[in-house]
Amino acid sequence: MLEGIMIGLTTALSIQNLLFVMMGCLAGTFIGMLPGLGPMSAIALMIPIAATLDPSAGIILMAAVYYGAIFGGSTSSILINAPGVASTVATSFDGYPMAKSGKAGKALAIAAYSSFSGGVIAALFLLVAAPFLASVSLSFQSTDYFALMVLGLVAVAAFAGKGDMAKALLMTVIGLMLSTVGTDQTQGVPRFTLGMIDLVDGISFLLLVMATFALSEALMAILKPKGDADRLKEKEASENLGSMAVSKDEVKEMAPVIGRSSLLGFLIGVLPGAGATIASFLAYGTEQRIAGPDKGKQFGKGSVRGLSAPETANNAAATGSFVPLLTLGIPGSGTTAIMLGALIGYGIQPGPRLYIDQPEVFWSVIVSMWIGNIVLLILNLPLIPYIARVLAIPSRFLLPLILFFSLIGVYFVSFNTFDIQLMVLFAIAAVVLRMLDFPMAPMILGFILGGMMEENLRRALLINNDSWSFLWERPLTLAILMIAALCLVAPFLTGKIREMKDRAYERTSSSGD
Amino acid sequence: MPISKDRLGGLLLLAFCITYAFLSQQIRLLPFQESSAFHARTMPEVLSVLGIGLSLVVIAFPGSKARLELAGHDWLKVGLFLALMSAYGLTIRPLGFIASTSLFLMIGFWMLGERRPLHLIAVAVPLVVLFWVLMTQGLDVFIEPLPTFLRGGS
Repeated sequence: MLEGIMIGLTTALSIQNLLFVMMGCLAGTFIGMLPGLGPMSAIALMIPIAATLDPSAGIILMAAVYYGAIFGGSTSSILINAPGVASTVATSFDGYPMAKSGKAGKALAIAAYSSFSGGVIAALFLLVAAPFLASVSLSFQSTDYFALMVLGLVAVAAFAGKGDMAKALLMTVIGLMLSTVGTDQTQGVPRFTLGMIDLVDGISFLLLVMATFALSEALMAILKPKGDADRLKEKEASENLGSMAVSKDEVKEMAPVIGRSSLLGFLIGVLPGAGATIASFLAYGTEQRIAGPDKGKQFGKGSVRGLSAPETANNAAATGSFVPLLTLGIPGSGTTAIMLGALIGYGIQPGPRLYIDQPEVFWSVIVSMWIGNIVLLILNLPLIPYIARVLAIPSRFLLPLILFFSLIGVYFVSFNTFDIQLMVLFAIAAVVLRMLDFPMAPMILGFILGGMMEENLRRALLINNDSWSFLWERPLTLAILMIAALCLVAPFLTGKIREMKDRAYERTSSSGD
Repeated sequence: MPISKDRLGGLLLLAFCITYAFLSQQIRLLPFQESSAFHARTMPEVLSVLGIGLSLVVIAFPGSKARLELAGHDWLKVGLFLALMSAYGLTIRPLGFIASTSLFLMIGFWMLGERRPLHLIAVAVPLVVLFWVLMTQGLDVFIEPLPTFLRGGS
């Protein structure tokens, strides 16, 4: 492991890569701060640049953008109560009231220290967990991988909530369907190309991500323009931040919260599908419950604990989500799905062999997480008063620029104008589906995993002489599929149990009367 | 009868899945492939069944009864932006990167309310030139800057 860390340090600490970490953190913060544009859009916007770099530098850049975007999202949550991403919604519960009471600078500093600690502690966990899991998963066969992919897809849909699960599953299937467009990998048969030569290579994942996230976000903002009051609020918030100093008492209050939330966030992040949003809400809820009556009352009114917990947890979860990506090659979230797509673009197949075959990529990603977090703290925090000015850029300039960067990002990779027309088409579909409250992230996950899933299923059948019995004969495959099935029924079961409990409570209370 | 968002989305995706299922049957297979357990049609066929089934579930058991609100949205502007993006795709080669992108941005700024010609030019043109220099000089990604009629050579 020590040797690996040294490899990672040598790679990540080169002048070029350090510059990329700084650039990534800064660009990520900048993009993540724009309401609506989250880490997925930020990473997608960076892929055309990352594609020109060597794999280590490219992945380091994208990891830095990821952290920066989460940090940026927290900033807009705190300053204008407009979370850039779902994972920073819980941050706004206490961050915004704190900012409203004239302590915006303090709130930003608490958020930054918590993010930093969460990220650094979780990277330590990752250092231990990733090689261990990678060595265990070396014994995995294609049947197990197929089952793991099913679990990953189902888990993302299951965490969408009881009412939205069918919609999320449907969107996952749509993503899987889109992944089948193009030439079939083994038999060389064209599928769903509609006779168009531009579709023979399939749909580029970057195109799909840009169209469904960055483009559709900008189009949604054009569709529902903000009022003058909102714009004024954004301008004022970005100009008056106040002091960024944090007192000793506040540090004492934050310390145990950071410890608990880091562990919780990391564990939640490792689970496929759960991700930073659930981690942040869970950490917030946990801290509120254990805070005691006095401190508990401050939650929602600018509590230090209430701000620190979700911020720590979402960064720790972001780090945790790299565990399944790096060790199994299975992304646990939409963001890591995009990173997986980028890795595949480099010709790198993440999985248990990554840390044996390409240790410099594996370890430099882990080391760059520490460096990224340090950069965020020492570079971005002092720059926040200036970076926050991005919120004051008029949307009449900002939105066409986002459209331009999205279109040109895809065009610079393929130099095919057909891609721009296809993006427009996907953007229309994405806007319609967003208006109808259909989630986009499961579709991206389905799209990224589709090719690998088909390949592993094909291989599994080949090994098993065209028999589907591997689904129930191999214990590990069966166990993973059972967990996937449990994920599907769990929301219904918990709902039923809650209903029964409520009914029982009503009965006892009415008989008591 | 007004239809809920979930049902409307379910119907649209059902149409998509049925089209996908129909097209999956157009995938050509060689005679020996048809008898194998897994071929180029297998995954699309499984996905078609899953997609149609899930669409029907969403239509039959919608998670929410909220309806689509069309009022208060600037549909015309979104339509114009979509047309603008499409036109950008068509003009980027013949007009070259600098002219087509500057035009795209200036029209975009104008459509969103910026009316001062000097501001339109002062924001768009330097930004596009700077971006082009960064991409070509910094990242070695070359993109033709000039319109077809100004290019030298063949």
